[in-house]
Amino acid sequence: MRKGLPIFIAAGMIVTTFAGCSSKGDDRAAATPTPGGEGATAVKEQTFTFLDNSHPSWPYNKDALVWKLFKEKTGVTLDVQVPSGKIEDALSVTVASGNLPDLMFTLSKGLADKYGQQGALVNILDYAKDMPNFKKWMSEHPTETQNALSSDGKMYLFPNQGIGETNRMNWMYREDVFKKLGLSEPQTWDDLYASLKKIKEAYPKSYPLSFRSGLQYIRNFAPAFQTGHDMYYSFEQKTWRYGPVEDNYKKLIEYLNKFYKEGLIPPDFLSVDTKVWQDLMSTDRAFVTVDYIGRIDFFNSALRKDNPAFNLAFMATPAGWSGGPRKNAYTQYVEAGFMVSSTSKKIKDVMKFFDFFYTEEGRNLVSWGKEGTTYQTVNGKKQFIEKYADVADLRKKTGLSTDGAYILFDYDAHLSLSSPELQTAYKQAPQYDSEQQPRPAFTPEEMEILSTVGDTITKKRDENITKFILGERSLDEWPKYVEEMKKLGLDKITEIYKTAHDRSQKAQQK
Amino acid sequence: MPLNEITAAAQPSVSSAVKRSVRSSPLQRWNKGKYLLLLFLPTLLYYLMFKYAPMFGLMISFKNYNLFKGIWASDWVGLKYYRLFLNNPDSFLLIKNTFLLGLYKLVFGFPAPIVLAILMNEVKNAFFKRFVQTVSYLPHFISNVVVAGMVILFLSPSSGVVNHMLQAFGLDPINFMVKPDLFRPVYVLSEIWQHVGWETIIYLAALTSIDPQLYEASEMDGAGRWKKIVHVTLPGITPAIVILLILNVGHVLDIGFEKVFLLYNPAVYETADIISTYVYRTGIGQGNYSYATAIDLFTGIVSLVFIYSANWISRKVGDTSLW
Repeated sequence: MRKGLPIFIAAGMIVTTFAGCSSKGDDRAAATPTPGGEGATAVKEQTFTFLDNSHPSWPYNKDALVWKLFKEKTGVTLDVQVPSGKIEDALSVTVASGNLPDLMFTLSKGLADKYGQQGALVNILDYAKDMPNFKKWMSEHPTETQNALSSDGKMYLFPNQGIGETNRMNWMYREDVFKKLGLSEPQTWDDLYASLKKIKEAYPKSYPLSFRSGLQYIRNFAPAFQTGHDMYYSFEQKTWRYGPVEDNYKKLIEYLNKFYKEGLIPPDFLSVDTKVWQDLMSTDRAFVTVDYIGRIDFFNSALRKDNPAFNLAFMATPAGWSGGPRKNAYTQYVEAGFMVSSTSKKIKDVMKFFDFFYTEEGRNLVSWGKEGTTYQTVNGKKQFIEKYADVADLRKKTGLSTDGAYILFDYDAHLSLSSPELQTAYKQAPQYDSEQQPRPAFTPEEMEILSTVGDTITKKRDENITKFILGERSLDEWPKYVEEMKKLGLDKITEIYKTAHDRSQKAQQK
Repeated sequence: MPLNEITAAAQPSVSSAVKRSVRSSPLQRWNKGKYLLLLFLPTLLYYLMFKYAPMFGLMISFKNYNLFKGIWASDWVGLKYYRLFLNNPDSFLLIKNTFLLGLYKLVFGFPAPIVLAILMNEVKNAFFKRFVQTVSYLPHFISNVVVAGMVILFLSPSSGVVNHMLQAFGLDPINFMVKPDLFRPVYVLSEIWQHVGWETIIYLAALTSIDPQLYEASEMDGAGRWKKIVHVTLPGITPAIVILLILNVGHVLDIGFEKVFLLYNPAVYETADIISTYVYRTGIGQGNYSYATAIDLFTGIVSLVFIYSANWISRKVGDTSLW
């Protein structure tokens, strides 16, 4: 691969202008806007073009049931294009070409804000008056609404709600192995250390605590130590703080350093990817982990065939110290969503279409499908008619809750497919939730500093924290490391977060 | 590949003969070269479309590029993004890492295919020669993702083959992938393993053009195997070596982003973080195209200086050069 990616994109643009680019004839007749009558039942047949993401595990399928249900209810057919590569690249090329589909899907809010502020997207708030249901939803959900705002106070992507539960993460442990060794659920990190040592004695070839993606999961450990893996908002002190230079964070790193020295985490934990981690977990070489809560079923259903006793169970979050907080990082949100192009000729109709998804009926449709077709109500509880093996199976077969097919979501639909253990886990998990962190929106100028100074800081953090854990740098040098970090411009970054946070607070009060 | 340049370089008499011919009018020259020019046309078009046209996009490094408004309508910001890069505390380190990694690759990676080609040339058994050649260039077709995966797997401190061998010799296992001082050797060696066979092809082609009579003559003069390599084989492929060396010097800063990105981790940033991985994290990753392009152009200028100097030196020292 050449390194001239930006140039490559430019090349792409130029070639597309040569070639005229339009793979779909410009047969978009300007739709006559209809007065937005509330609860209008007469559906108008129309088509919106839509650049959608296609998830590798449940790729976009034109014939999926969910699109038929959309059409039935709203009269809208989505003429979907999926990118050949990553959606981010497809978006940048599409925006640059100036030939935008009516709708686009993004996985990150940052991109929506960026293109929105460049003028490519519609400010959804401008049309709120035509969207009674959306307006009502916004007034009921100020936090979600605020999280969807851009730094200029506008909204460039439709907020979603409910599907985020799929990203819930927490601790899990091999309950059967703990029982066999006479160990109880660890309450603190000291207990955890003792248990891991015991397991290591019984299984010398194992690395009892394993997790994926190197340092990333420190963010899941941090709340139990009253700190964060990055900039975080301290609700007690009402300030923004940088976790990785705090003393509490150092305590966490001391534990990890100890674990590393004694072989309680894999020696190559930095390069443990999903596959390696799954191998470790399924071959009795790792017994405690942190990951998506749905992994409980993922491992149990696969491994009980050979080992009926295998039981990966929900584990309560251990506190960083005796009496400390037993909190997990708040990961149960999804930023992904729909964006509307400012060049679209059908903005009014598009808004009407989306308004439907902020109704109870719309929520039900994207979560459960259609009564009698996909689900039935038994004793007042909805359940799917077909026996889907798991959520992935449901997604593949019906298209429900795939990218571009959800906004408000009833997570019970997914839970109805889970094992009793997972459902219990979902019941227990919320008591270990830390408060949802504010996600302030940044201006382009702030983003520039965050992506340059911020990147340097993140890089230095990762480099040093890694060395502390590996013992390549002595923890006695912690104060020196804190000094180094401050020199790189931590104050600047903290200031940016504060400014952005205050700005969004003000926007909210309007 | 500049095979034509190599043959041209090997036969200086042809070009000088053209120069000595009577000056002909442009029209005559056009008529004479019609078909050759027609042959050249696709190449010209390719370069115009994919190399020269995109250069107009370099403008965005001096603008605050707004994708939606387009290049023309974006605001000029002068050298802002260049300053941003040079003011970054890491910029010198990034340039140094990029340069050193490229230099190591050149110093160790460049001679490897030459040595291999000469060794193959000495092998008389045709079947064995074929076999070695095929086996050595197979890795070239494995994707970087797979190669990086293999490297990490082989060098893993817990389950890697290499560490098993070390332990068999009674040594302690080494955690290769987290040692900053081992990153460059690991990268360069894997790079050689991947491409050495592929790069021998051109040398083998150059070797076939050496006149067998030269070997016979040197044998008459009593040259052994070694002497023949030194006095016949090497001079025979020198033009090819020099041309490729100059081209490679221009690519010193042009390290493939993919493999470094797949192999590095925070523990080895101090030696492994290079310009392209930085651009990926801050530019492409964040959609900061102006910044990424500025760094790109900067790197391009440095590469140009390199290739120019290499050419100048080779013109002074030897008689082969690109221009």
